[in-house]
Amino acid sequence: MELELGLAPPNTRPPAAGVVACGKRTFGEAFVKATLPLFVRDGDGDDDDDGARDGVDLHTDNKRKRLVGWPPVKSAHRRSSGGAYVKVKMEGVAIGRKVDVSLHGSYDELLRTLARMFPSGGAGGAEDEAAVTGQHEGRRRGPPYVVTYEDGEGDWLLVGDVPWEAFAKTVKRLKILA
Amino acid sequence: MGRGGSHAAPAAASPPWHALPDEVWEHAFSFLPADSDRGAAAAACRSWLRAERRSRRRLVIANCYAASPQDAVDRFPSVRAVEVKGKPHFADFGLVPPGWGAAAAPWVAAAADGWPLLEELSFKRMYVTDDCLEMIAASFRNFQVLRLVSCEGFSTSGLAAIAAGCRNVRELDLQENEIEDCSIHWLSLFPESFTSLVTLNFSCLEGDVDITVLERLVTRCRNLKTLKLNNAIPLDKLASLLRKAPQIVELGTGRFSADYHLDLFSKLAAAFAGCKSLRRLSGAWDAVPEYLPAFYCVCEGLTSLNLSYATVRGPELVKFISRCKNLQLLWVMDLIEDHGLAAVASSCNKLQELRVFPSAPFDAAEQVSLTERGLVDVSASCPMLESVLYFCRRMTNEALITIAKNRPNFTCFRLCIIEPHTPDYITHQPLDAGFSAIVESCKGLRRLSVSGLLTDRVFRSIGAHADRLEMLSIAFAGNSDLGLHYILSGCKSLKKLEIRDCPFGDKPLLANAAKLETMRSLWMSSCSLTLGACRQLARKMPRLSVEVMNDPRRACPLDSLTDESHVETLYVYRTIAGPRSDTPACVQIV
Repeated sequence: MELELGLAPPNTRPPAAGVVACGKRTFGEAFVKATLPLFVRDGDGDDDDDGARDGVDLHTDNKRKRLVGWPPVKSAHRRSSGGAYVKVKMEGVAIGRKVDVSLHGSYDELLRTLARMFPSGGAGGAEDEAAVTGQHEGRRRGPPYVVTYEDGEGDWLLVGDVPWEAFAKTVKRLKILA
Repeated sequence: MGRGGSHAAPAAASPPWHALPDEVWEHAFSFLPADSDRGAAAAACRSWLRAERRSRRRLVIANCYAASPQDAVDRFPSVRAVEVKGKPHFADFGLVPPGWGAAAAPWVAAAADGWPLLEELSFKRMYVTDDCLEMIAASFRNFQVLRLVSCEGFSTSGLAAIAAGCRNVRELDLQENEIEDCSIHWLSLFPESFTSLVTLNFSCLEGDVDITVLERLVTRCRNLKTLKLNNAIPLDKLASLLRKAPQIVELGTGRFSADYHLDLFSKLAAAFAGCKSLRRLSGAWDAVPEYLPAFYCVCEGLTSLNLSYATVRGPELVKFISRCKNLQLLWVMDLIEDHGLAAVASSCNKLQELRVFPSAPFDAAEQVSLTERGLVDVSASCPMLESVLYFCRRMTNEALITIAKNRPNFTCFRLCIIEPHTPDYITHQPLDAGFSAIVESCKGLRRLSVSGLLTDRVFRSIGAHADRLEMLSIAFAGNSDLGLHYILSGCKSLKKLEIRDCPFGDKPLLANAAKLETMRSLWMSSCSLTLGACRQLARKMPRLSVEVMNDPRRACPLDSLTDESHVETLYVYRTIAGPRSDTPACVQIV
């Protein structure tokens, strides 16, 4: 499987520009708006770091390399400290993840991290579906996923509407809808 | 069921002591304060064993894998209160992968079968499911206390089962759990006739609660002493809740934000004025300083103040804490800074426990002015201070030596200098001398965490002097195998040792294998261990479980790895239950 990231530019545009050119109809198209943030799960091409969990982000440029579990503060403390760990849940997956939004500089980076966190094994149904529907050009993809987030006021919104900085300040948690 | 205590025909007026009936021994054992004392008594002879185990009411299983649930039920048939702890301590910091284990289900099942009269259940760092909670609600007709600390795996559905099913529940205490929000109004499932709640703590719940239902619950539970709210309760509702429960002893305010409004402030102040019994206060997350004076009328009575999640800072914070002259416990963010701690030092002379948490643990740039000075001041002026957890960015040997001299009564000293390998910032020397002074002076020290630049020398001191030390945490310290050898060959009372990122290898582990069986557990991650040593250890010590984990995201293919291969994480613990069968793919038992 290969990664297809589709993210509409922050300013609203008519559908055509923003939709991932995957060439097949998916349920995501029913919701197609310019701001629909999509990512399609990858194989594990990205998994070439040292195998540490998301606490170590060797791939982010210019960010301080962070040690896993150091300093020894509980995750609740991390949240209130301004290191912006937010929970990520994917529909249908029992065990969620946590991602530090402040370590990312853009939506692209965040979506890449999310794609890596929820690899093909995470939501088995999608993998089967890809196998069943077959694919073109030897590239297999699952259906695109919709990424939503909860803001400071408790509302659930689609990721991608507001500038990254505004999003990073207000995001409380993420949910990936299958 | 025959008693077995013989009634020998007395030659003297009363039976000889060893023929006294079991009830006498049971009564005698009820005066033994510690479980370890009871355990020692049980080891003396068969009749004491019988009397002790049959009368044991409280049981603590400090490692859920040390014995099987059935072992516990068989040995102690009359238990009424059980506490079970699961994952190792470093799980709090993300070093243990999800799915690692520590399932509560087998314990709940065994308890449901063997302890139908169970009244109290407490789980710490375990995986508790909604099924578990449903089984608890259905199985124990006199269930009274449920305490879940740092657990995960359950949702508000499970809480609903407890609320609906446990007619006599007194305490529902949820501390720092990850609870899935199923939007079930679990609070409304407490029946209208239900009035027995004494403790209600749902501070870690992330979803909404129905405030009206909460108010009705609080109103009818006249014995409610502890109430800890979550983020969802707005400030004006807090005021009205307090008016309905003025008898409250412990309060967690939950969120405290909101912009400052005078009328809201007055409401709060008036509500707090009515709480004459309030002794313990926590929460105040996002509190704005202007609201702090609302607490002033309760300051005098407060013995415990937990502001560890509160981002408030400045003179209002210091003024507020300084008014709490009877404080015994203070947990606060480093936003209090040195000058704030100096004020605490002079005002709060009864302080016994201080914890200072980092407000920006990952951001070296944003520095608050909290240094070794604050700790020195508090140690100098608070004669009853015995427990410290302190995060800071710099330290000196001189400060530590001063602290050690002032406070030989420390029982718990945990210092975390945030940047690894930080030396004495004035002399640039390792902090060996400082920590050595601590262990030499504080003869009752039971728990120690070291940090900063440290060589093997400090471990020689610790091994030699820390006779009562039960738990030791080491990170980024030491320079050779000797460091670990000093610890394992000394520290007579050591129970738990957790080590990360130290250059400790195979030799001291194998040389001190027998020591590990006298301890509860050993954790070593990112050290210099090889698989061969772990295999040898496992062979040599059959009553230890030797667990190895390399990459938490991948299966651990032990069979294909050579003896020379590096072991990333080792977790060793003694057990009478044999190897566990619920390891995830990334964990292998050697």
